[in-house]
Amino acid sequence: MMGDQPAMARIGLPTIFLAFLRLGCISFGGGTGAWVYREMVQRRGWVDERGFLADMALGQSLPGSNGIKMAILVGRRLRGGAGAFIAGFGLLAAPFAIILAVGAVYGRIAHHHSVHAVLEGVAAAVVGLSLSSGIDAIARGTPEVSSIAIAAVTVLGVGVIGWPILPVVLTLAPVSIGIAWARSRP
Amino acid sequence: MRDSFADTLFALFAVFAPLSLLSFGGGNATIADIAHQSVAVRHWTSEREFADLFALSRAAPGPGSMLAALIGWNVAGVAGALVATIAFYLPSALLLFAAAKIWGHWRGSRWHQAVERGIAPIAAGLFLSGGLAVLRASPVGAAMWLAAAGATAVLLWRPKLHPVPLLLLSGAVFGLIDLFGGTL
Repeated sequence: MMGDQPAMARIGLPTIFLAFLRLGCISFGGGTGAWVYREMVQRRGWVDERGFLADMALGQSLPGSNGIKMAILVGRRLRGGAGAFIAGFGLLAAPFAIILAVGAVYGRIAHHHSVHAVLEGVAAAVVGLSLSSGIDAIARGTPEVSSIAIAAVTVLGVGVIGWPILPVVLTLAPVSIGIAWARSRP
Repeated sequence: MRDSFADTLFALFAVFAPLSLLSFGGGNATIADIAHQSVAVRHWTSEREFADLFALSRAAPGPGSMLAALIGWNVAGVAGALVATIAFYLPSALLLFAAAKIWGHWRGSRWHQAVERGIAPIAAGLFLSGGLAVLRASPVGAAMWLAAAGATAVLLWRPKLHPVPLLLLSGAVFGLIDLFGGTL
């Protein structure tokens, strides 16, 4: 087993499967990574925010859909390989079934302008989910001036200017890790 | 007939598996490639069909990349949807799992902790950037920013609140404004 679970009762595979199955059913509007954060860190407390953020940075540096990557990494933290598989499968199962079902009716409702307005409204609230996750993550980690500055530069580069994620992460990571290393000097 | 069906499934796999390993920054990074492959190269969908499938993939819950499932479904039914989905998710999932396993080896060492600590604010910044990117891409202007700011405040104020009622409320308000002739 991984030595990285928090000191709490082992969470069963069926529980993990159901939690991610549920997330798959409700995570409308994209931003699935933020959904996973809200559910696993803020609501259930299955993983702590530092572990989640470290996983997120690892995931962001590799290809793949962000929500699935976070499901796999959280599942792995909880129950190793089996947990990773069950979490990823759980997150995909419902959307896969739903998308095929919705495909059958969408053609008939797509021409209603209000349908698009509703989707925009949902997307706006999901933006709130992403923003609140980011702010919560900064507030939970010991908010030092240097880490707030690093977060601000990331937002400026990726969110405001629109640079691609990978080069920004690869440039900022050595700086930020260097600062953390210097701070941890015994 | 049997052979051509198998060929189609193989073609779906051959298109989506490499894209899985190229989708840096999330599934959205590959949409342009998926469009090119399915419209111009393979003729799986017309341009209009592709636009419809794309809109549909955003209307459903879950990771946005259900686009692969829809194209597979369009071409070869449920088998096509399954093959395209597995091809689009499995390679990157295996790569990620291997990377996490190697990384986990050094857990507990001082530099491992420094890396995790140093990476955290960048990841937090990426969360914020993801939200901003959606806002900037939206055709709806001020109303979107207002709703997003309101949702952010509520979610921070009540950390245990389930987000779904908030989503439904926001969607309903936008829909009603539109229905009664308001402009968003």
